[in-house]
Amino acid sequence: MTIKIAQLSCGTEYSSVQYEIEKAARSVGAKIVYPDVSAADIDEAVKRFGFNPRSPQLKLMIARAAQLADGKYDADAVFITTCFRCAEAALVRNELRRFIQENTRLPVVTYSFTERLKASQLLTRMEALVTIVTRKELLARERQSGITAGLDSGSSTTKAVIMENNKIIGKAWTPSADVVASATEVLEAAMKMAGVEMKQIEAIGTTGYGRFTLGDHFGAKLVQEELTVNSKGAVWLADKQRGEATIIDIGGMDNKAITVRDGVPDNFTMGGICAGASGRFLEMTSKRLKVDVTELGAIADKGNWRNAKMNSYCSVFGIQDLVTTLGEGKSFEDVAAAACHSVAEQVYEQQLQEIDVRHPIIQVGGTSLISGLVTAIGEVLGEKPIVPPDSQYIGAVGGALLSSGFL
Amino acid sequence: MSEERETRLFMISPRSMLTPDQLVRMVHSFGEGVIVKETCYGCLVEAPRSTCLQILAKVREDYRNEVFSKIRAYPCSDPRRCRAQHGTRPGFAQLEEEWALLAKIQVGLDRVDKGAKYVPPAEKKRIPVNDFKKICEVH
Amino acid sequence: MKVFIDPPNSLVLFDLVERFGHEPLSTMAAIQERVDNLEVDMPPMNVTLDDVVKGLKYAGVEVPSGIRGRMALWGPLIEAADAAIVMDDCPYSFGCVGCERSNLMVKYLIKRRGIPTLHVSYPEDDEQATNFVAQTKEFLEGLE
Repeated sequence: MTIKIAQLSCGTEYSSVQYEIEKAARSVGAKIVYPDVSAADIDEAVKRFGFNPRSPQLKLMIARAAQLADGKYDADAVFITTCFRCAEAALVRNELRRFIQENTRLPVVTYSFTERLKASQLLTRMEALVTIVTRKELLARERQSGITAGLDSGSSTTKAVIMENNKIIGKAWTPSADVVASATEVLEAAMKMAGVEMKQIEAIGTTGYGRFTLGDHFGAKLVQEELTVNSKGAVWLADKQRGEATIIDIGGMDNKAITVRDGVPDNFTMGGICAGASGRFLEMTSKRLKVDVTELGAIADKGNWRNAKMNSYCSVFGIQDLVTTLGEGKSFEDVAAAACHSVAEQVYEQQLQEIDVRHPIIQVGGTSLISGLVTAIGEVLGEKPIVPPDSQYIGAVGGALLSSGFL
Repeated sequence: MSEERETRLFMISPRSMLTPDQLVRMVHSFGEGVIVKETCYGCLVEAPRSTCLQILAKVREDYRNEVFSKIRAYPCSDPRRCRAQHGTRPGFAQLEEEWALLAKIQVGLDRVDKGAKYVPPAEKKRIPVNDFKKICEVH
Repeated sequence: MKVFIDPPNSLVLFDLVERFGHEPLSTMAAIQERVDNLEVDMPPMNVTLDDVVKGLKYAGVEVPSGIRGRMALWGPLIEAADAAIVMDDCPYSFGCVGCERSNLMVKYLIKRRGIPTLHVSYPEDDEQATNFVAQTKEFLEGLE
């Protein structure tokens, strides 16, 4: 079955990225389609939508969205994408995303591209759209059964979890080095803690950047992108499997903001252009402060970010800010708090604008252990996020939980 | 412009009695051995540029102001732009709108053939404030 | 003479320019060059990263890539043109002319070239269409 992803876009063909978009879709067994519209449909749709952009291609996007909303065109998922830095398109992109969500149950992903976009950057997003469509039943799974393992090969750390009858019985993590060696190390440690042997493990699920390599190596039953797997792990850990929620996962290399309904994502954004909004920036900060990153949160909680303002899209300039602030004699605590606040603000500005934040907010991933960052996210959003126990293991838990669906 | 390959779109004005089917048969009857593809608005012709222009001239002998044409970037049935592959191409709505306009352009061309000349339209001016005031006072 | 048409994909303008004896410069020709280039495999249009980078000649890096890519197609055509016909109040413009900012830039570049340019209005009825055709014909016949 080929999954049809309806593309609503402006500028892709003239930015040399249309080929990359289609390549990414093809590689996950999907196909890009454009809902058919006639000239008359365009005027009517724009009038109905109520936002009348000057650029005709944006009007065309609106008309195509209306075809989907009215069920006149059959697609499985929606990809809305426009040029980075185009204000008119950014407004239309976000409002159309909202329009699609209000009028359909189709999963949506939005993206603003530059001419440097490569298919690999879209792969995880496209794969997630396909997973949501093709694995509906699997994603509806709320309980783990049997003995299964989950491996999450992230850009910063590799995590393993062993689960038995809906409980975590073993877990371990290590900084990522060689993909297979790191995974083997954490899997063995988790098995030791659980007191199980490899032959007892009935299924393995892999996720994260190294998922394909690990999937091959361990003969995993489930090899799935981290957007859907992490969502599942997050709602299981937070015991929020029913209803709506927003999951914020600030990772080492990219961040995810996902809205879920009954544990299944219906909209997500993934950032990764500016390191100023990533966990990596906090690592760099702690290195400069000569503290372990695990201590950064507690130090930040004692400080006040208002005393040492930092805010930069770019981690390099961010560190410059940090050096200047330290040079001015600000306290370590204030600087640590400012670094956390800066990351939270960047996540808010760059990503949370692209989704409608739903409650509760669940913060997960390794960075959710940095309490100062959780405080900062809470301040920026006006609501303290829930940080479930074992929040850094979402990917591994999701992998173990979902792979048990294959037993 | 390429001498090797030209794909030309022939579009019939909505005021014309000519049908796409008749147009296609006409092009075939010229015996140039070209690719002709009937479309809802007329046809696509694919041939070396000089042949395309000859065909256009011959069509215009009978349907001078009823058939319009422009070149098309893609060869006939090119999968990169084929509607069956992805849905309508981005310029489809533009063609639809221009097709409707051709009815008026046909009349314009006919009248210009008969000697109609350009008449600059009267400039639209805003009425003086005092005149507007008077209108307001009347009402 | 080479006459740039704006909208650059207009059937009506392309037809009239050719009908009255000149060579229209259009998007279609610019894209045809690219789609026929067998050495490039970037469907659907073979507009490449190089093109978008070439667009920097017309607009800075802070300008969205879609505008720069479009300018890379149209800029050289405007530079090669001896004259231009611009439909100012075109109620439709889809496809390559889908970006209003790019369309504004095209009009500006034509103005800056200083070539003979005819600005026409979109005809709403038969009378206006007659005037539009007559005006276009006079302009094109006067280009020598």
